[in-house]
Amino acid sequence: MHVRRATARIVVAVVAVVAAGTLAACTGGPATVSAADTAAVVSIGIGEPTHLIPTNTTDSSGAQVLAALFTPLVTFDRNNKPVPAQADSITATDSRVWTIRLKGGYTFHNGEPVTSDSYLRAWNFGAYGPNGQDNNPYFAKISGYAALNPTDPKATPTATTLSGLRRIDALTFQVVLSAPYSDFPAALGYLAFLPLPAAAFDATGHIARGFEDQLVGDGPFQMRDVWAHDQSIEVQRYDSYSGTKPKVGKIDFKIYQDLTTAYSDALTNTLDVLPGVPTPNLATAAKDFGNRYRHSPSSAFQYLAFPTYDPDYSNVNVRKAISMAIDRDQIVKSVFAGSQIAARSFVSPVLPGYRANTCGAACQYNPVAAKELYKQSNGPAKVQITYNADGGHKEWVEATCNQLARNLGVKCVAQAEAKLADLLPKLQNKTPGVGMFRLGWVMDYPSMEDYLTPLYSTGGSANYYGYSNPQFDQLVAQGSQQPTGAAAIRLYQEAEDLLARDMPVIPLRFGQNDFVYSANVSNVSVDLFGDVNLLDITVSGT
Amino acid sequence: MRSGAWRALRRRPVFWVPVAILVVVLAMAVAPRLFAGADPADCTLDRSMAPPSGAAWFGYDFQGCDVFARTVYGTRSSLLVGVLATALAGLIAAGVGMASGYLGGWLDSVLSRLTDIVLGIPLLLAAIVLLHRATANGSGHGIWPVVGTLGILGWTTAARVVRSSVLAARQQDYVQAARMLGAGHGRILVRHIAPNAVAPAVVVLTITLGTFIASEATLSFLGIGLRAPSISWGGDIFAAQARLRQAWWPLIWPSTFLAVTVLAFIMLGDAIRDAFDPRSR
Repeated sequence: MHVRRATARIVVAVVAVVAAGTLAACTGGPATVSAADTAAVVSIGIGEPTHLIPTNTTDSSGAQVLAALFTPLVTFDRNNKPVPAQADSITATDSRVWTIRLKGGYTFHNGEPVTSDSYLRAWNFGAYGPNGQDNNPYFAKISGYAALNPTDPKATPTATTLSGLRRIDALTFQVVLSAPYSDFPAALGYLAFLPLPAAAFDATGHIARGFEDQLVGDGPFQMRDVWAHDQSIEVQRYDSYSGTKPKVGKIDFKIYQDLTTAYSDALTNTLDVLPGVPTPNLATAAKDFGNRYRHSPSSAFQYLAFPTYDPDYSNVNVRKAISMAIDRDQIVKSVFAGSQIAARSFVSPVLPGYRANTCGAACQYNPVAAKELYKQSNGPAKVQITYNADGGHKEWVEATCNQLARNLGVKCVAQAEAKLADLLPKLQNKTPGVGMFRLGWVMDYPSMEDYLTPLYSTGGSANYYGYSNPQFDQLVAQGSQQPTGAAAIRLYQEAEDLLARDMPVIPLRFGQNDFVYSANVSNVSVDLFGDVNLLDITVSGT
Repeated sequence: MRSGAWRALRRRPVFWVPVAILVVVLAMAVAPRLFAGADPADCTLDRSMAPPSGAAWFGYDFQGCDVFARTVYGTRSSLLVGVLATALAGLIAAGVGMASGYLGGWLDSVLSRLTDIVLGIPLLLAAIVLLHRATANGSGHGIWPVVGTLGILGWTTAARVVRSSVLAARQQDYVQAARMLGAGHGRILVRHIAPNAVAPAVVVLTITLGTFIASEATLSFLGIGLRAPSISWGGDIFAAQARLRQAWWPLIWPSTFLAVTVLAFIMLGDAIRDAFDPRSR
């Protein structure tokens, strides 16, 4: 589900045409006012978020907005170590029972203080199966999760609250996990673990009507107006905020259906920050923006996945031959103008535990050996790569297909599905005729485990390839129970080696944030998650 | 009258120029191999956006495919969609127009209002909705959804023309005579009325064919018409426009072919209309 984070930035081109008129109308005037600090307005281009309730938000646009409206328990330092933000301390005796102490003095934008209850309320809501929250699986490690999520989706759960959550006092609560998990503090930096005010819920315990459109959070910014769907989300500085205060007064998140439009707007200073330059514009961005075209490391991972249950791709040697027939470096150079990194491992280089080239010979471009291996293993004469047309993937998927056609002597079709939201159900239902498919992953929290469990464990939330290896499951589970990071990493690496052997997916590229900004702003940075840092950004000349 | 029209047409370059163009275009659609030596599916990033040269007169596109080969091969899908959609629209128009014009009465009122309603629906908007549904239901990405959509939405003008010519023909003495001789409705429609209603309908449909080809390109440009592996001018134009600032040739050639073909059909329709319309002769 959280795959969407990497890709939900663009919505269908069709909508773009219909909405182009309205967009043009609302992006007309000057975007920034160089006045006093608090009056400074900055605009940031995003896509339409699918949801804004934290336990239901999985796409990068929603994450960007929530970064303004909420303060997480932890944030991450330069070395990706969690540092307490809203939390005062997070301690454990045996990495199973965690005690979280909150900093006092934080309030929601409606004045309500942030207490233990704010967290317990939100987490219980997110973990309760019938609420259908997309981030529900992130609560699975907490004791009592099974009682809230019966295996039969129609059955009524036997409990409404997680037995592993205990309120100790107004600012302290305890989380009991069903098994030790040393990376838990890092996981707490994810959206699923944000708090909600009492006002978020109605009498029946559901999200109150209209709350999602006028979110009340505990972050540095508060909603200025209701969420104008497909147009903008406007926020302003929350003056009673106890944490580090932002340096600008207002942020307009402008919603674009088409990133190319956003790029043109940035070029004319109508938009201040565009966190992701569209692929076709990469080649000219340096010329267009000069030193206002920047790069920063990203945790994104692009890969090509196989339906391993499909007889065409069930032979691991067929999968390896396909991998060897792809010239990753050429695609990076020609399509991405050198802005991404060819991937030959399964875990992003931004994380401790990353090793280069864990995939071995199978990820080295070798068309001759590939063709031979493909022939020997009786690979299918026709292959297909399905991709979603709303993520700017057309060019590289077609290029990959052309490489396969040339190097393996097969027929290759690049098949577009309009939206990722159309593709995922097909994958979930194992619909025949999909063939290979592209997916991307942006980490939820900095840990190798986040690149392994959801993607490849049996029944993992983003395991769409039907891959199941008990040995892998066991290694990852063992890893997450290790008391120290180093011991965990060793086991995770062993698990990664199994992936290299089984090749359920082909690693293609590690991403990079390519962002541009207008002359109106400075101190722009984009973090590993692809979010613009809203506390650092300033308006030029103030 | 028909030989008169032919005599008038024969002497006009406005007729022969589009005919010549369409013969070439048709030949391209039937046997693209005769025109383009290169394989349109032979693409490699090695020659991504290589400019026009002796090896490839129109240059290479972003994926390193021969632009000329792709443009020539794209002719087939464009023409096929145009012709089939026109055939479908023609069939609907003939049925509706003849029924309402010949039978008249309440059926005429109902069908005429129906025509008005369909005429009032914006073609592109309705096509977007229909095609989106078609692809969401997984009913394929081939040419049929596009053909069906264009046919269902594009028959109205032709239906009106057919109706009015049927209305006029119905009052003719020879039709009355046939009726008195005991001919049935079917025979009268087919033998006496249809031949007179065909000519104006052909004129309208020829022009419609041109606009259908343009509509197909528009839909493919928007990403809801023909999809890969079908080669379509609209799709190629869309792919090329994103990188227009780096290379113009992948955009200019499919655009030119599209414009010339559409223009040829519209010119041909105009020429035929002039020939059939006695007032302009």
